[in-house]
Amino acid sequence: MDAAPLTSKRRTGRWRLLPERGTISLFELLLLAICLVLVAVPLPQYLQDVLIQTFLWAGLALAWNIAGGFAGLISFGHAAFFGIGAYTSSILAANYGLTPWIGLWIGGALAAAFGAVLTLVCARLRGPFFILSTLAAAEVVRIAALNWAALTGGAEGFSILPIASIANMVFESKTTYAALMLGYFLLIYVITKAVEGSRYGYYLFAARDDEEAASAAGVNPLLARTGAMCLSAFLAGIGGSLFAQYFLFLDPTHVISPELSFQFALLPALGGLGTAIGPVLGSFVITPLSELLRSYFGGAGAGLHLAIYGAVLVVVMLYFPSGIAGALQRLAERGRKGAP
Amino acid sequence: MTALLEVRQLTRTFGALAAVAGVSFSVRQGELVGLIGPNGAGKSTLYNLIAGAIAPTSGEIVFQDRPVAGWKPYQAARAGVARTFQIPKPYRHLSVLENVALSAMLHDRTVAAACESAQAILTDVGLADYVDAPVGNLTVGLLKRLEVARALALRPSLVLFDEIMAGLTPSEVRGMTNLVAGLPARGITVIWVEHVLYAIMKTAPRIMVLHRGELIADAAPEVLVKDPAVIKAYLGEEMSLA
Amino acid sequence: MVPCGIPTYAARVSNGTMTTVGQLVFSGLLIGGIYALMSIGLTLIFGVLRIVNFAHGEFLMVAMYGAWAMTRYLGLNPYYSIVAIVPAMFLFGIVVHRLIVMPALDKPHLVVVFATMGLSILMQNVALMALSADLQDVPPILGGRSFTFGPFYAKPELLIGFAVAVACTLGLRFMLQATYLGKAIRATVQDGEAAQLMGVPVPRIFLITFAAGSALVGLSACIMTPLFSVFPTVGLNFVLIAFVIVVLGGMGSIEGALLGGICIGIVQSLSSYYIAPAFGQMFFFMLFLLVMIFRPAGLLGRKGEATLGIND
Repeated sequence: MDAAPLTSKRRTGRWRLLPERGTISLFELLLLAICLVLVAVPLPQYLQDVLIQTFLWAGLALAWNIAGGFAGLISFGHAAFFGIGAYTSSILAANYGLTPWIGLWIGGALAAAFGAVLTLVCARLRGPFFILSTLAAAEVVRIAALNWAALTGGAEGFSILPIASIANMVFESKTTYAALMLGYFLLIYVITKAVEGSRYGYYLFAARDDEEAASAAGVNPLLARTGAMCLSAFLAGIGGSLFAQYFLFLDPTHVISPELSFQFALLPALGGLGTAIGPVLGSFVITPLSELLRSYFGGAGAGLHLAIYGAVLVVVMLYFPSGIAGALQRLAERGRKGAP
Repeated sequence: MTALLEVRQLTRTFGALAAVAGVSFSVRQGELVGLIGPNGAGKSTLYNLIAGAIAPTSGEIVFQDRPVAGWKPYQAARAGVARTFQIPKPYRHLSVLENVALSAMLHDRTVAAACESAQAILTDVGLADYVDAPVGNLTVGLLKRLEVARALALRPSLVLFDEIMAGLTPSEVRGMTNLVAGLPARGITVIWVEHVLYAIMKTAPRIMVLHRGELIADAAPEVLVKDPAVIKAYLGEEMSLA
Repeated sequence: MVPCGIPTYAARVSNGTMTTVGQLVFSGLLIGGIYALMSIGLTLIFGVLRIVNFAHGEFLMVAMYGAWAMTRYLGLNPYYSIVAIVPAMFLFGIVVHRLIVMPALDKPHLVVVFATMGLSILMQNVALMALSADLQDVPPILGGRSFTFGPFYAKPELLIGFAVAVACTLGLRFMLQATYLGKAIRATVQDGEAAQLMGVPVPRIFLITFAAGSALVGLSACIMTPLFSVFPTVGLNFVLIAFVIVVLGGMGSIEGALLGGICIGIVQSLSSYYIAPAFGQMFFFMLFLLVMIFRPAGLLGRKGEATLGIND
């Protein structure tokens, strides 16, 4: 599941080919280069949209992974954090004129607070009990948002004023949005790598793998987990704010939906839970694919891309539980053994 | 000389069953104390109570002159109490090195330093060859040694060993016995639950016997093997210590 | 989603608050029994296999479409289609178990979670593609009039449904206590390894239980089709209700599911009328979260189960 474990044979001073805990690999640098090029190069509007979504989802998947992959807190309710972030910054901007550049931190903080409460309240729950609780909590948020129409606009939705300006965080050029989303994704990637190779990261892995043993080794599992969920929720909330500034329209049915929550979990699961590169690969593969399917099959194939996701998820989970990242790692190991 | 660990009238009941009933003893700094008794005697419960995994129903636990009954396992670890688990509980997704390094991280604040400490300890317990092995491949005997390594990596002042000899070959038993016997000299006090009697009877100068939750004996091995109560409860017949 | 029937009955009663409350509780009781019937399969599967089947709602959806289709194209009353739907769902359960559940059982727990989630998404969207998203209804079977049951009114479909739910619970309890299969199932619930050592064919018990859970969903679908519309994502509404009921009643407890279902039915009935239909759903999620906080084992569940989660 995780990135390749640290071994005593760490060759120092040499570049790694594939992603590993605690170092940057050539693969990651190459990916970074490709991303920068894609942002800089002029692309048709449609492809720029795909790029923006891909980067956003890479960030969101990485955020989920901190709780779900690293800490073992599998959540099917992350859309609630996303929605809290999105609505908070948008409502603050509309009602108080607060610039989203500040509002997004507040949204993130609110989402983090919600995450902390959820984790503490569900502290003793494990396995499916915890998962169901996240589902229920997200539904509570969605229904609340739907019915508190005075604040959120309810089912009719909430529009963000499309007046382009830096202070409003609304841009005319899609390239700027792509850069913004890339920045978001890169920031979370750096945070993820930092956590993965840190003492705190190891404490999360230990608490996830065997809570009793970790506790006997000096880890406070509840504190570690709550911290992970807070960070995860915070980052997801910021993603929600960025999404609001791009999409310019919010409504609870689409923004806090179980389908969206599922997407949060699907991308890391397919890409490789518990690794840093996994959620990124998941998004880079699935997001463009889903856009492709959506445009190719159009309205007639409503649900086809989701049906394919479902089928792919079943197959991948049963036969490639470590996802794309795991498959790459196995290839690398085979290569290493073959090399003289 | 004050005791490192003192246990007074410690009791833990589960419903109508008293798993540990009014147990009292004290262990001084630098002692090596054995703890034996038939299955179901309450040894694991006693360990769980001392190490903070469960809270007592009544009684006191005093560690380094501090009352600590009902503390959490991570508090115990940070205070210097380490324990092994009878059924090894390794972190399945981490390597052997990382398993031990995790414990070392209590004192070593960077991952690199923790790995170095871990490497040294693994060599100490004879697991140097398995440092990079995935945990899933290890046999029970090796996993037990991993448990010992993880406990020692915490740099404890008191360590609670739980049947660490099971599954070891006679030469491995000798090696492990030497390791345990050497711990008091390193400043580590040891309480040692063991079923492999010949190892513990020859090494520990003092042995406590638990039976049905009660401490029925607490003496040197030579005295114990003649104690009729101990014989009846556990040994079965008089044992020679040759 | 508001089930049809409940606000209508409350509105019909005109003799003052007491009777309204009474009628609401009565209607809630009946619909709760039906919700329970839908949840028994889920709780049974959890009790024996220790997994949550996230595709439970889609099993219901498929069976409901089957019952509806038999009415629409063969003129068969949904109660008669039980004869066809229940065995069909049993077979469907066998197939899903063999293909998806069994390979996932020896892997980390999240594999079965994601695999059944994936199945759920797959089934929902295949239905969406193959059938229209329109709500499909079955015309009233038994005349469409209500019966008087003491001082209360109830649709016959509700009464029949409730009766079937109670009968099912009693029947299952009898089967579990008195037959070898039942004892084998109970042994597996208590300690799968020990049961296997005693000669219980645990893998086959898993298969039978999963298929039986699926068949029970089929039964409840036939009961529910006269009362609810069916559409491709209907499963999502009901599966959340089923989760709440199962947790409330205690995962693995059949009587707990009945009790839990009745509680939920009554809570929903009262809150839909007195507060607002939309908030009705929010209420039982909050109830769910409260149960999780204060008594995660549920009303009749085994204590400590939720804190142990699944044996990984």
